[in-house]
Amino acid sequence: MELKDDITINAPKSVVYAALNDPEVLRQCIPGCEELIKHSDTDLEAKVVLKVGPVKAKFSGAVVLDTAGAPDAFSLTGQGNGGAAGHAKGGADVTLEEVDGQTILRYDAKAEIGGKLAQLGSRLIQSTAKKLAANFFTKFADVVENVDA
Amino acid sequence: MNDMTPDREERSANLKGLGCSRKRVEDARFTQGKGNYVDDIKLPGMLHGDFVRSPYAHARVVSINKDAALELPGVVAVLTAEDLAPLNLHWMPTLAGDKQMVLADGKVLFQGQEVAFVVAKDRYIAADAVELVEVEYEELPVIVDPFEALKTDVVLREDLAGQTEGAHGPRKHHNHIFTWEQGDEATTNQVLDDAEVVAEETMYYHRTHPCPLETCGSVASMDKVNGKLTLYGTFQAPHVVRTVASLLSGIEEHNIRVVSPDIGGGFGNKVGVYPGYVCSIVASIVTGVPVKWVEDRMENLMSTAFARDYWMTGKIAATKDGKITGLHCHVTADHGGFDACADPTKFPAGFMNICTGSYDIPVAYLAVDGVYTNKAPGGVSYRCSFRVTEAVYFIERMIEVLAIELNMDAAELRRINFIKKDQFPYQSALGWEYDSGDYHTAWEKALKTVDYEGLRKEQAERVEAFKRGETRTLMGVGLSFFTEIVGAGPVKNCDILGMGMFDSCEIRIHPTGSAIARLGTISQGQGHATTFAQILASEIGLSADSITIEEGDTDTAPYGLGTYGSRSTPVAGAATAMAGRKIRAKAQMIAAYLLEVHDDDVEWDIDRFVVKGAPERFKTMKEIAYAAYNQAIPGVEPGLEAVSYYDPPNMTYPFGAYVCVMDIDVDTGVPEIRRFYALDDCGTRINPMIIEGQVHGGLTEALAVALGQEIAYDDLGNVKTGTLMDFFLPTAWEVPNYETDHTVTPSPHHPIGAKGVGESPHVGGVPCFSNAVQDAFRAFGLRHTNMPHDHWRIWQTANRLGLHD
Repeated sequence: MELKDDITINAPKSVVYAALNDPEVLRQCIPGCEELIKHSDTDLEAKVVLKVGPVKAKFSGAVVLDTAGAPDAFSLTGQGNGGAAGHAKGGADVTLEEVDGQTILRYDAKAEIGGKLAQLGSRLIQSTAKKLAANFFTKFADVVENVDA
Repeated sequence: MNDMTPDREERSANLKGLGCSRKRVEDARFTQGKGNYVDDIKLPGMLHGDFVRSPYAHARVVSINKDAALELPGVVAVLTAEDLAPLNLHWMPTLAGDKQMVLADGKVLFQGQEVAFVVAKDRYIAADAVELVEVEYEELPVIVDPFEALKTDVVLREDLAGQTEGAHGPRKHHNHIFTWEQGDEATTNQVLDDAEVVAEETMYYHRTHPCPLETCGSVASMDKVNGKLTLYGTFQAPHVVRTVASLLSGIEEHNIRVVSPDIGGGFGNKVGVYPGYVCSIVASIVTGVPVKWVEDRMENLMSTAFARDYWMTGKIAATKDGKITGLHCHVTADHGGFDACADPTKFPAGFMNICTGSYDIPVAYLAVDGVYTNKAPGGVSYRCSFRVTEAVYFIERMIEVLAIELNMDAAELRRINFIKKDQFPYQSALGWEYDSGDYHTAWEKALKTVDYEGLRKEQAERVEAFKRGETRTLMGVGLSFFTEIVGAGPVKNCDILGMGMFDSCEIRIHPTGSAIARLGTISQGQGHATTFAQILASEIGLSADSITIEEGDTDTAPYGLGTYGSRSTPVAGAATAMAGRKIRAKAQMIAAYLLEVHDDDVEWDIDRFVVKGAPERFKTMKEIAYAAYNQAIPGVEPGLEAVSYYDPPNMTYPFGAYVCVMDIDVDTGVPEIRRFYALDDCGTRINPMIIEGQVHGGLTEALAVALGQEIAYDDLGNVKTGTLMDFFLPTAWEVPNYETDHTVTPSPHHPIGAKGVGESPHVGGVPCFSNAVQDAFRAFGLRHTNMPHDHWRIWQTANRLGLHD
């Protein structure tokens, strides 16, 4: 499954980049995120409640950030396990471009889903993922813009 | 005699015997919701089991932590392979000579594989506890493509490492199971090399599933006081289950009673032995109380026996004028993680070697390679005799492809290649002796009824209208002519786990002239209680209404191999007739004694023995039955009972001619079935109403398979069709009206000439629906496209052919 989109955030690139690395901002923005612990600058641990079709489960997972491209690019990989509900792994490449004080955030994400989640949700998963990603970035833009203000 | 005495015709009709469209005696309870299925069985103190199943298609099981599950109130036990190992029950033998994990032993090989068995006070607690069992997996590379499986270094079955010999000969690769060869390869290749015309095609007969309305389940009850195990379950072969349960558990066979209660459809899905059965038995032995296991729909679709999954490559040789000279077939058979194919032992690819079909093909060669992949095990004959659906689909597609190659009409191509009536019994190039047939008569009748010439004319006009832009629908005329091979089978070459595939019937005539007959088979909806009583009524002259048929309880029924592969009528039906004849032979002695004549001086007449030349002197079967219990007859034992174990001398070969007329909307891919005509020849017809019902059911499952039903996997081995939202089960909405017809060519070796019919419509129906779809696009260059022909795939076909430009 692949997801690709962009969003314009009314904040300079440096602010956006910093927010992407701020566990508290991420926790607020990730749909269903209950806990996000930063073990190091690049290692995070997350607990997320996800609902796809008839399956609702708590996923716990590890996220690794790659900040080599800072502050223009940023990538992350992660995997999560929802026990009986299934499992997921994936990654995303994010690029940031500043235009007239605003930042255009582009993301290109890939995910593999397995277990009951994939079986029951196969026809729902693409649309659910799209919705989750949209929710994340809308919230993210909102949070960043308000912090900035 | 006076006017009140019924005449012969009336007496015969009163029996409700062969040929009578007698209403099904089973339906009174089914239509009133009074059936008794496995899940209806509730025993005192009964516990409930549920499985922890693998979310991964291929992974190592690193650890299993039961603690949290065991802490949940109401949970009694959590069983893992470690618990079953001391009993040597963590693995079990399969019907195909392989072995299968009962619970994951170190690794899992398919998504949905059984990892742990939770036993709890009710089904809900068990399901909650399943979620609390923590299993740590280490993912392994997933192989879902059988061709990839034969190339990769990834070893699926590490337990077989180094074994170069399997149950069916040499293994060529660590993921290879067997190669099964039939026929003459060298001569076939020579014929292909020298042929005027050769048509080649590769086709995939997709993986699908029988999906009976009732899922699989069992209730095991171990009585520790008397040492008896009673096992209720969805078993298509209860006697074999008893023998296997005894061999596996070490409990003596007389201490095991297996009961198949009412079964809500089997279609092959309930032939195999599943981990759930074993776990319910072990759990009952461990806990000392009854344990029930009933799977849900998702579990049924993703873990119990699938059907098909055959990649078939064919080459067919012919002369320029269409006479077939040779056939070559290679199959790559995807068997999943374990080889749990349900076939007679000596036939690892079932009766795939019936793939020469209804045609007189002088030389042929077949090779089947069985392969392990990360998919569920199985490979059952879903409403067909062993792999016959695959074989018939293969040949009926090859005929169509050859017709395209020759630019010839496909009906005519069939006509010139049919085995002729005077060639029966016919020896096929791949080793079968077809017992009887009259293909040309059936074919001409079918084509005439549907006005075949008229259909082709209309189709050609439609193509022209389409090209002119006047219509967006195309018309397909689907043809199929099939020969089934059913009634397995002769003990000399057919067995399941060493048990010869005979069947049996035991009859007791009661003093007042009614009877009970017990058989080794088990109805799953076929209506045995109705039809077997009819066979017996015609044999012994008592009304079918006075005969009870009982099956499925191994403590009372004689040993038999069960019901699948349309074997009940050919084998147990024959046993019924033969046991009836034994009854009649004894009745003849009793009648002769009562009539004070010699045995040879009486003859059978519908429902009585009459003195030859003096028809006014007779004894009815009712009178004879009474005499058997109340008179001391010199030299004759009291009572009137008989048992017959019937070893069939040959298979039976039902056949049929089907035509489907379909209109396809090229813009939406939606096929509309305008007409479906099915002519079946199943030999002697026992109950025409039940035959018609069987044909409707079989055709509907054929429609399902051809037009959408599949078990699809993604690259990670996830089952994408695990619910009825994604797995196509036709309803009244999709099902057309069927026209049924028949010819009658009795089997020469069956006691009443019957051949079996339950599966014929599926076998003939799948290629017929598929051919109709493909035929619609023939004028636009389509040669072959794989099933299932769902709307999306039909649309893609139209798109690929440029019909949307």
